This record gives sequence, structure tokens and C-alpha cells, in this order.
Amino acid sequence: MTNTYIESFPAEAKVVRAAFYSSFLALAIGGLFGIIQTLHRTGYYRFMDSADYYTVLTAHGVLLAITFTIFFLVGVFTWATTTSLDRPVEDIRFTWAWYGLMVVGTVLTAIPIFAGFTDSEMSASVLFTFYAPLQGHPLFYFGLVLFVVGTWLAGVDWFRSWWAWKQEHPDKRIPLPTFMVLTTTLMWYIATLGVAAAILLFLLPWSLGLVESVNPLLTRTLFWFFGHPVVYFWLMPAYMMWYVMLPKISGGKLFSDPLARVVFVLFLILSVPTGIHHQYLDPGIAEGFKFIAMTNTMFLLLPSLLTAFTVVASMEHGARQRGGTGYLGWLKALPWRDPVFAGMALAGLMFAAAGFSGMINAGMNINYLVHNTFWVVGHFHLTVGTAVALTFMAVTYWFLPQVTGKALWNRSVALGQVVLWFVGMTFMSNAMHRGGLLGIPRRTAEPQYDGFEFEAAVGSVGELDAQIALGGALLTLSLVLFFANVVGTALNSRSDDLPANEYADTLSGPSDAPLVLDNLKLWTAIAIVLVIFAYSFPLLSIIERGGLFGPELTELPVHIGLGLEYLWATTISTVTTASETVVALGAEVNW
Amino acid sequence: MSQTAEHEASNETSEHVREIGHDEFDPIGTLTLIGIYFLILVFLWFFMYFVEFLGNDPTVVSGTLVFLATGARSA
Amino acid sequence: MRISKGALLIVIAFIAPLIVELRTVLAWVNVELTVLESVVLGIGLIGVILVWALWPQSQSNGTESAETK
Repeated sequence: MTNTYIESFPAEAKVVRAAFYSSFLALAIGGLFGIIQTLHRTGYYRFMDSADYYTVLTAHGVLLAITFTIFFLVGVFTWATTTSLDRPVEDIRFTWAWYGLMVVGTVLTAIPIFAGFTDSEMSASVLFTFYAPLQGHPLFYFGLVLFVVGTWLAGVDWFRSWWAWKQEHPDKRIPLPTFMVLTTTLMWYIATLGVAAAILLFLLPWSLGLVESVNPLLTRTLFWFFGHPVVYFWLMPAYMMWYVMLPKISGGKLFSDPLARVVFVLFLILSVPTGIHHQYLDPGIAEGFKFIAMTNTMFLLLPSLLTAFTVVASMEHGARQRGGTGYLGWLKALPWRDPVFAGMALAGLMFAAAGFSGMINAGMNINYLVHNTFWVVGHFHLTVGTAVALTFMAVTYWFLPQVTGKALWNRSVALGQVVLWFVGMTFMSNAMHRGGLLGIPRRTAEPQYDGFEFEAAVGSVGELDAQIALGGALLTLSLVLFFANVVGTALNSRSDDLPANEYADTLSGPSDAPLVLDNLKLWTAIAIVLVIFAYSFPLLSIIERGGLFGPELTELPVHIGLGLEYLWATTISTVTTASETVVALGAEVNW
Repeated sequence: MSQTAEHEASNETSEHVREIGHDEFDPIGTLTLIGIYFLILVFLWFFMYFVEFLGNDPTVVSGTLVFLATGARSA
Repeated sequence: MRISKGALLIVIAFIAPLIVELRTVLAWVNVELTVLESVVLGIGLIGVILVWALWPQSQSNGTESAETK
């Protein structure tokens, strides 16, 4: 009797395991495409046509940013609700149903992407940022819709568990892991409205030929409505692991349950009304709206800095309980030999570095320097590619025994794997950032041009390329070690000597947290109001200027209000032109 | 946990030598680390000023502010 | 050993970002390192850390664990 997750919840463990394996399959394929791109872009090994680079890039982005991350996190969230509420899911058939829907969605999305490699008519090399004017096969959008609906149903499943639990425990606080799942899910519901609208109203009908054109800026804006908060959908589970697993593995307790709740509430409120900061260079959105998005984005630093404090303090608590002393000497007392700990700590460290480049991206003026350059690629390989991916890989070493009932194949290989990821990403991401500062573009198969050379401030572009290729190779090696451990563990026989399924205790518990923090309706309402503030005017002005379905279709005023507005705008512009002429004439006369 | 595993763990570092409660815990090490991070941040912002702004014209937002404040558009 | 094996591995790994960023920082004060010089510097630093970590701590290993308790 070891009290692992699979013993307490055998049926749920199967779903969680299936979700993990699905995400690892996506990681394997996406990772393979990663090294292919690295070698192609840097010019070290080009075995395919450069046009196919974009198909590889699409598969890399979709499989890693959507499939790998989300399949993993639905597994983690299911573990978190069942464990912290201490109750099985309400109906395991429903749980399998949403998992199945996500699988079907992924397969349908993957078919047109991979068809891009063949000579067939079908293709969807529209990149992860699949807004217009790039158009993919309808199946691509249809698959995405099914996948997202699958995640919505998963959310329903977690809420059902909580509602049922609440009936039996009316006066109890929501357990922290469940609280994190619920707030993240609510954020996801709001965020995915954007992508649902973009696909169902515009991209899918357009791809099917039902409408002739779309307003590209509108679909871009709706995409980023979802495209920024989706990064928090990946990051929140990683944060959850830092809050509920890391303190325990460090040998201590979570420093503060109330602070953790505040952080997740802030993410619920602030994640969505920030998307326009991806569009600082888009003409057609007024500076003022961009400024609002920037302000909201800067506020988002707050929960991340709160997290840095709480998580480090919890680790320090563990280190001091293990005998650590001094201002920095306690760091030595942390369990660095444990791959679960080392991986998460290194991921957190990389995330601190990602904070720097993130602030550069978020600042409106400085963003102009790095917009659409390789810098951005370097940035998100630190965030989703390390803070999230490395945390997920590290906790896998804890979760695998829990959901399989088998001991981890090799802990030393696991430790080597997480360290190798850290070193490889250091090389790759650093060179990407520096390349971006030189103006090297992203999303480009052959970033080299006739009669022009990028000038490196330090070293040379060739050295940067070498650094990227070296980093990519180390990352690939790290992935190979990771999969060796996953497969080796799966082939192990069942073990009776496994750690119990537990998460961290708290120093300052939920009783110290104000009750209002658990008022999910209130925070959702505030989140929606902020979204309305941030988005209604930009969206209205985009539609007014470009029309719902593109500029061509708005020639005729469709109703009297719009006609009057058009008249008014024309009058204003005529008056302005006239007055400018007068001023110019006056200036002439003065001469 | 088996005997051997426990032994191995204690070889690494002495595990859980004391219990520290909420009131005794003084996260001075956290303050040190976050302080270092903060100093790096300040340095980088300072550094960025030289990289991006010194010798460049004001960008769009500051240009608008200058316009509002002085009534004159900067070139 | 002055430091656990795990911590030693992490410290060595941490040399990577240090060396990589150092090259840029030094260029700011007009010290331009070549790749080879950076690599040599990195290996040298790792060597120093290894010597520091593996150097016996005044007394033999047997008394070390007694000391920490």
C-alpha cells in the first residue's frame, strides 16, 4: 500500500495517463521539427525545399504550443481537482468523452498540416498564428474548433466536481489546487471566445467559400484576443506546480495560500485585455488603445513578481528546514539532485530572464525595435519553451510513477535531461535574442539576402547561427533522454515503493485568505468588464473602418446610422483639408 | 520509503533537521535573491535607455505628449 | 566535497549563461572575446569550481558529517 494516485483513483489515472502520452507524442513530433528548422534556418543542413519550412514551422507551433501544452495541462488539472477535492470525477464516461474530442480535433487539424508536405491540394501552412490573409484547409479550422470544445467540456468536468463537492462541504474554502484550476478555466472560457468568433464567423466560412473575403485586421485582433491569454493557459499549470509541488519537494511548505489565490485572481482579471500588445505595429488600431493594452500588460508583471516572491520564500523555507543557513548559503541545502526540483528551479530561473525580454516586448516604444524579429522567438522559447515545457518535463518525473504505479526508470538520466535543456536553451535563446536586435526576422526560412549583411555588435552572425545550432542539438539530445525515461518507466514493472500522492502544506493557510477571494462570480464579472473596456472600441473602430468581411463589402451604407457617420467623417475630412489649404496659402502669402 | 533510500537521501543533505513555523520563518534569503533580481532589472532598464533612446527622436507616444504639452509637433 | 553532487552539476550548468552573457557585457567596455577565448574561459571557470568543490574541507570526510550536525 503506497497511496499513489493510481491506487486512490484508478479510473482517473488512466485518463490522466492518456492525456500525458498524447502530449508527449506531440512533443516528440514537434521537437523533431524544431531541430529541422534550426538546421535549415541557420543553413547548416537544408534537405527540404524552403517552401516546406513553413509547413514544418506550422506543425512545430501547433503541436507544441497547442497540443503538447494543453494535453499535459488537462491531465494536471484533472489530477489537481480529484486529489484536492478527494473525490473521483462525477462521470468517467464524460471525462473520456472530452479527452476523445480533443484527440479527434488534434487529428483533424494535423491532417491538412501534414498534407502540406505532399502534392495534394490540401494544406494548412498558416503557422500557429493562423489569422488572415493566410488561409488553410477547412479541416484545420474544424479540428481546432473540436479541440477547443473538448477543453471547454474538460472545464465543465472540473466545475461539476467542485459543485458536487460544495454540496457536501458548504462552509469549506475551495482547496488551493482546485481554486487554481477553476480560475484558469474561467480565464480560458473568456479568452477562447475570441478565437471561436474568429474561426466560426470568419475564417471557416471564408475557407469554405461561403464568404468572399474577411477583414484581416479583425481576424488578427480576434486571434490575439485569444493569442495572449493562451500563454497564461500554459503558464498557470506551471505556476500551480511551483506553488503546490515545489515547496513540498524542497522540504518545506507553501509560504502563503492567500497570496497564491490573489495571483490567480489577478491572472483571471488581467490576462485577456492585453492582446493588442501583440499588434503595436498594426496600422488601423489607434495609439490610445495600444496604450491601454500596454498598461494592462505592465500590471500583469505584478502577479508574476508576487509568484517569484512566494515561490522563492517557500523554497527557502524548505531549505532552512533541511538545515540551510545564511543569506545565500541556504541554496546549497536544496535537493538539487532531485530532477523534479532541479528542473522546476531551472525553469523558474529561465522565467526570470524571460521577464526581461517580456518587458521589452510589452513596452510600446521599445517593441518597435524587436517587433517580428528573432528576438521574439528567443523570448517565447524562454517562456513556453522553458518555463512551461521544462516544468512539465520535470513534474513528469513525479507524475509518471503516480499514474503508472511504476518507479521512474532512471533519476540520474532525468537530472541530466533537465540540466541539458537549461544549457541548450541558454545557447539557443541568447543567440535568438541577439539576432533579433540586429534585425534578423522571424518566420523566415532563409534569413540571408543578396547585397546585404546583418552586422553583429559582438561576434558575427555566423557565430550566432552556430550558437543556435548548438543549442538546438543539445535540446534535441535532452528530448531523447526524456523519452528514454518515459518509455523506460512504462516498461518497468509495478512497484510498491513509491511516494504518496500529496501536495504541499501551507505556512499561512486558506483561513487567512479573505472570503471574497473565493467569489469566482465577482472576479469573472470584473474580468468581463475589463475586456469590454479594452476591446469594444478597438473592435468597433476596426469594423467601422474595414467592415466585418473586408473593405470591399462596405461600400454601401447598410443602415442610416452608418451612412450618417460616413457623411460626418467625409465632412470632417473635407473641412480639415480645406483649412489646411487655407493655412498653407496664408504661409505662402507671408513669404 | 525503504532503509536504503532513506540512507541515500540523508547522504545528499541532512533532510528535515528542524521544523520552522510561520512565526519563526524569516525569509531573508528570498529578500536577498529578489533584491539581486531587482538590481539587475534596474541596471537593464538603465542600459536600455542608452541602447534605444539616447540620440533618437521621441517616438509616437512621447511625440503626442510633447505635442499636447507644447502645442508644437516634434519633427 | 564542499557541496553536494547535484548542486555541483547545477553550478557548472550555470556557467553557460554566465559565459555567454559575459561576452556581450565585456564588449560594452571594449573587451572583445573570441569564441575560443570564451570557451577556454568557461572551461577554466569550471576547472576552478571543480577544484574548489572537490578540495577536502580541512579535515577528512568522516568528520565532515559530524561537523554539520
